[in-house]
Amino acid sequence: MRAVRLLLLKDLRTLSRAPALVVALVLYPLLIALLVGLVARFAADRPRVGFVDRDQIPETLVVGGQRFDVNGVIEQVETEVDLVRMTDGEASEALRTGDTVATIIVPRGFVSRLRSLVRRPELVLRITRGGLAGRVERQTEALVYNLNRRLQDAYIDANLEYLRLIREGGRGTFLGNDFDIVGLEGAQRILAELEGQGDPAARAQVEELQTFVREALLALGQSGETLRATANPITLRLDDEGRRSWLLSAQVQAYALALTIALLCILVAAAGIAAERDENVLGRLTRGLVRLGELVAEKIVLVALVAVGLGMILALALGAAIELAGSTSFASWGRVPLLAGGLAIAGAAFGAFGVLLGTLARETRAAALVAILVALPVVLLGLLPEVSVAPAAWLSDAFPFAHAVRLFESTLYDADPWATIGRELAWLAGLTAAFGGAARLGMRRLLA
Amino acid sequence: MAARADNEPLLSARGVARRYGSQEALAPTDLDVRAGETLALVGPNGAGKSTLLAILAGALEPTAGRVEQGAGAPRVGWVPQRPAQYGRLTARENLVLFARLEGIEDVPGTVARLLELVDLAQPDRPAVLLSAGNQQRLNIALSLLADPDVLLLDEPTAALDPGQRRRLWSLVDVVRERGGAVVFATQNLDEVEHHAGAVAVLQAGRLVFLGPFAEYERSPAAEIFA
Repeated sequence: MRAVRLLLLKDLRTLSRAPALVVALVLYPLLIALLVGLVARFAADRPRVGFVDRDQIPETLVVGGQRFDVNGVIEQVETEVDLVRMTDGEASEALRTGDTVATIIVPRGFVSRLRSLVRRPELVLRITRGGLAGRVERQTEALVYNLNRRLQDAYIDANLEYLRLIREGGRGTFLGNDFDIVGLEGAQRILAELEGQGDPAARAQVEELQTFVREALLALGQSGETLRATANPITLRLDDEGRRSWLLSAQVQAYALALTIALLCILVAAAGIAAERDENVLGRLTRGLVRLGELVAEKIVLVALVAVGLGMILALALGAAIELAGSTSFASWGRVPLLAGGLAIAGAAFGAFGVLLGTLARETRAAALVAILVALPVVLLGLLPEVSVAPAAWLSDAFPFAHAVRLFESTLYDADPWATIGRELAWLAGLTAAFGGAARLGMRRLLA
Repeated sequence: MAARADNEPLLSARGVARRYGSQEALAPTDLDVRAGETLALVGPNGAGKSTLLAILAGALEPTAGRVEQGAGAPRVGWVPQRPAQYGRLTARENLVLFARLEGIEDVPGTVARLLELVDLAQPDRPAVLLSAGNQQRLNIALSLLADPDVLLLDEPTAALDPGQRRRLWSLVDVVRERGGAVVFATQNLDEVEHHAGAVAVLQAGRLVFLGPFAEYERSPAAEIFA
């Protein structure tokens, strides 16, 4: 332990004498946070979708006696996609060149079909294959759903108007034809007048009709709520509680933390161990002064300290950004000590992996290059969604990145994080031991 | 340094060999380093001199054979051909670090004594900024930290000025006269002639001659180096 402490102090002193490196180490996490934010913003950007109106939809449309704004409903989709009105030719060209990712077409006859209530009108979606295709498809489905809901409301209102006519009587229109009806209440009045007439057989029939009219009136009085309830059995109410922006989401913070310390720790560890060889001191050290295992352990501890330092800078910067954004308070100040512990363990795992790479590369410059070349795919593996690429997720489990992401996410935001923290810490400790052991074996390559 | 009888083996190489893949850097070699002896290790470039010295120093593991230590576990100092020190640390910090790793009790006193002994100018400059000669002085000072019984020097005078060379050879004499031993690799025939009591000649990884300097002069092995 004495040798480890002495070499650790030596490395920290060496780091402090490279101001450009220290500045880079401090700025790097902030740069990563910025880049992650930009990527997140790009991901949240609305894709451009062409909109071709072949039927010249009027501003307002009367369906079943109800007026509603078709364009208004269509444009609701603009909260999620950038809807650009185009001609047929422009839309085809834009789709071909990639200027738009999809085209929504309103075919000729759409409005007349809508008004007729006989044939279902259709919207056409032309879509390219690509990363955003699924998102546009979902948005268009949401658009059709919204249109259907508005139409459904209009149809229900129209039906309710017919029911009112049946109940109260009056003048109405159906399929363009006007009509007058007496209604149940009018029928009740007429039946009351007939009841006073002498024929007992007719009176009995009148009483029977009166009973029917009363029950029909009672039943139809409840029909409005029933119609709406069967049309929309469940409604979703959205409570806005100051949602956090994507940039400041827990997942992005966890990724930013893990990404920063993954790249830096692997790089520092790989270059650090190879530098011992480049400085030609390995032979002097291993002549009984320091054991190879101690040298590996020292680099792992050094990198764990670097991870804690850089990770805390990034976490505090993100926490401050959340507070400044004011949408919600950073719920994790109390978890900062726990996060520091997590950063240390994750840093140690990345450090052990980096030392292994350094022993394989042997020279500092080669080690730095190998560290970057290997770290990037490891990080990308961890970014792949588990449900879609299962083998990648299994492979990713063999490296520290995915575990670090889950650890940080749980540490920062889970209400009850202990099970996840315990599992991921065990994984990271196991990976530290495995990579550290392999690095210890690899040290012989450095001595050769 | 413990008092030792002359000719007592301090370090013994027993069939030590070193291979790098399919290439044999050093064939199985037997060699005794005896108390009071100054042994010159000579041979062309790539003959295996540095490999043998590193193996004797314990800095390189032989792929075959072993190195045996004499009675009393003699301490070994090693001056590698290329300075072995941390470039971003100053000369003084290098000495302090290695003195602490050696477990020396009086670190400041030992460091001050060695700085004076090798006459190292600018001890508080980062080692990487020192001249090649001063880096070699630091390299030598580091090897003397443990007060060695056996001093292994790999072409130690290459970067030294004449004054420093004289100082180095007087250090060598001190170690030898105290009952220690010195093994030095060199390409300089004058150094062999003036300082070596015995000579070992390596050629293509094989020990082709080992004996007193007088015998060496008369042997065919002298032609290799001439």
